[in-house]
Amino acid sequence: MNSNFITILRAAVFVVLALALCGVIFEFAGYSAPAMFTSIAEGAFLRSGGLTQSLRWAIPLFITAVGVGLSFRCGFFNIGAQGQFYAGAIAATCAATWLDGAPALVLVPLSLVAGMAGGALWALWPGLLRLRSGTDETITTLMGNFLATLLLIYVTTGPLKDPSGSGQQSSSRPLAAAYRISNSLGLSPTIIAVAVVVGVLMWLLVNRSAFGVVASLAGRNPVMVRWQGAKVWWLGLSSFLLAGGLAGLAGTLEVFGPNGRLVGGFLPAHGFTATLIALVANLSVGGTAAAALFFGGLASAALYLPIMAGLPSAAIDIINAAIALFITARSARVDRVLGRLTGLASSRGKAP
Amino acid sequence: MTDSIPPALVCRDITVRFGDFVALSDVNLSFERGCIHAVVGQNGAGKTTFARVAAGLIRPDAGAVAIDGQPMPLGKVREARRLGVELVHQSFALPPSFSIAEAMEFGAERFGPVFSARGLVNRWRSHLEALDIDVDPRKSIRDLPVETQQSVEIARAMVSDASILILDEPTAVLSPTGAEALFERVRRLKKNGVTVILVLHKIREVLAVADTVSVLRGGRLVAATQPMASLSASAIADMIVGGTSANDDDANALVGAERPRHASAATTGATAAILQLDGVSTLADGEGPPLDDVSLELRPGEIVGVAGVEGNGQKTLVRVIAGLAGLGRGGIELAGIDVSAADLAERRRLGLSIIPFERNSEGLSLNSSLWENWSIRSLLSGRLLRPIRPGALREQSDAALKRWDVRYRSSEQRAGSLSGGNAQKLIFAREVHDGARLIIAAQPTRGLDIGATAFVWQALRDARDRGAAVLLISSDLDELFDISDRLVVMLSGRIVADYRPPYALGAVGAAMTGAEA
Repeated sequence: MNSNFITILRAAVFVVLALALCGVIFEFAGYSAPAMFTSIAEGAFLRSGGLTQSLRWAIPLFITAVGVGLSFRCGFFNIGAQGQFYAGAIAATCAATWLDGAPALVLVPLSLVAGMAGGALWALWPGLLRLRSGTDETITTLMGNFLATLLLIYVTTGPLKDPSGSGQQSSSRPLAAAYRISNSLGLSPTIIAVAVVVGVLMWLLVNRSAFGVVASLAGRNPVMVRWQGAKVWWLGLSSFLLAGGLAGLAGTLEVFGPNGRLVGGFLPAHGFTATLIALVANLSVGGTAAAALFFGGLASAALYLPIMAGLPSAAIDIINAAIALFITARSARVDRVLGRLTGLASSRGKAP
Repeated sequence: MTDSIPPALVCRDITVRFGDFVALSDVNLSFERGCIHAVVGQNGAGKTTFARVAAGLIRPDAGAVAIDGQPMPLGKVREARRLGVELVHQSFALPPSFSIAEAMEFGAERFGPVFSARGLVNRWRSHLEALDIDVDPRKSIRDLPVETQQSVEIARAMVSDASILILDEPTAVLSPTGAEALFERVRRLKKNGVTVILVLHKIREVLAVADTVSVLRGGRLVAATQPMASLSASAIADMIVGGTSANDDDANALVGAERPRHASAATTGATAAILQLDGVSTLADGEGPPLDDVSLELRPGEIVGVAGVEGNGQKTLVRVIAGLAGLGRGGIELAGIDVSAADLAERRRLGLSIIPFERNSEGLSLNSSLWENWSIRSLLSGRLLRPIRPGALREQSDAALKRWDVRYRSSEQRAGSLSGGNAQKLIFAREVHDGARLIIAAQPTRGLDIGATAFVWQALRDARDRGAAVLLISSDLDELFDISDRLVVMLSGRIVADYRPPYALGAVGAAMTGAEA
């Protein structure tokens, strides 16, 4: 209980610190910080329809972030969510193109599976390299992002290109309306149901299965788990595959939902924001949902700021970057102070 | 302070705290020049902390240190070395990739930007010869046997003609003959006017070499530089222990007052073997010497001790039984079933339990909670995707930890927050269960205080009496002699000797170093 409380407190403290830093930056850049924050809050949640828009951005972020969180839990710094997200979208589009004409009840589920498989495949090779020969997965997954981005450009300008496209933004042929799972606003019962199912299953896996406990032990000390006879190799690989699969699923939802087709270079910061969410949430599934909503709100505000408030949407990038900075640079000293604050109460009941 | 010559080292009112824990409390000690001083105490009594304060590695929270009457700036290694204080650590600190000559030059701290390899070797060969250490200075540190490594550590400490040499538990890694050679070297240093402070935990060794003894217990000074002539072994033992519940034989073994006799005998004899190693050789893997044609048989109800100087294949032996080392030749049977190709999970299912060498890395996940650390064995015994109830696991682990007398606040607490003794009890609570038919206990009492050590021994004896077989690997001969029903000696990856009680120290010691008994 206590340690959970510290964790939430810590995340909150860092987000507040980051926001304070951003306020200073806004003031120096000649904007009123209070006005800026008010507009962001309006854009994210307060305006009518704001919450719906935030949810639209939060859902794919959540799905990707729970996967990232799982691989971090297992001790693998898989930062290739962006690439896995793209790979999933590409694979799903390929499946849809190939199955075109089939009934929606066949095509859509198969495409979702293909999307997950594509994302998982994009996580498979860094996972194998890491587990077989110790190649640093941070490097390979990061590089994988660039490869997937280029692959996306290639397929949307080449094999999957929409010949009737205007040429401004390369993309695949639009999906038939029957295959879409949401309109261009990006929120539908189907998408919400997928997110809920993913959330519940992942929560059960992490908190209520032997796998979850063993994986988090392995993430903290693989040597000990190996001495207990666990196949650390399989644990690690399954965490890579699940993370990739979920990122791929999020990419597929974008294609079949709001976009309705595969667009070259869509949501270029998605994977990184998802990674940030997993860190802010300290890898807990519930925390990931909350953090995804927060960052979904920021994403929604980024669209609102320039249009409605005449403010630069780069403000949101600055906030994201500042939070990333504080979360990754969290110091032992802050932890100690927080620990002491919360420890004051508990130390009284200390056993001998 | 009536004497006109100031003592070599004076510590006044030294207090060191680590968080809430008081490691040293108002310690006053004064060491005369040119003598061999012993500092003794249980694990956790503050001996190492004291040595580090004197060497300038730890800055005490209160107190003062003076060398030859001059105040020493606290917590400054460089200043301490300048004043002539050198410390040889318990775990060796020389860079393994360096040659001996390079390590010496590095320790001298006066090295210039350019040097020739041959110049270095010549320079330090004479230094080693002067100290009577017979080793080629071109050899790499990592290729040296433990005894030589320690001699080289001492030579490194003497490069700047130290006047005060502190050795922290120097005998812990040595065979009896190695320890005797070390004491001879220390006596020669004393003859040359060096003040030697030995941190020890065996009274027998204190009696053999020291001129004075100081005793620490729980961070407090119990006896300050008392001349040996005035003390008996049992008086020192009483000061170290200060009243414990261990039986007499165990107590003697624990403080090393006298060589223990084997206390209790094995209960069974003629049943089928639990563990059978048949001519096992392992593939070289850079983690210690490979095993070479090792055959060993353990029966239910016996404790078999494995003696040997550290680094002679004991770790490989444990890994090969666990299935974590590549088996080259030979076969392994557990409970009559050939497990040569089986993985560790399968071997554990057959009743293998391991208390591994490294409590904090192989035994526990320090950043995970107590209940997770305890429940991993049961979690891994079934399908990984099956549902669990963490609440139930927490209750089970609470019950188990209570049974094993682990002191803790909450089962959510990090395993890293336990003391060494409690951490080891947690591992015992997990590994020593009814289904454990073969228990590998690798250095199970290292770093534990006397109470926890007695507890571990009793737990191993109880397991033996229940019919489990125990393989006890230890570098502490007193421990092995006290509780082993049978003793084998490892040297360079081979089992070179096999003894039954009563054990003869001379024979076992000779076997450990490869000398003919």
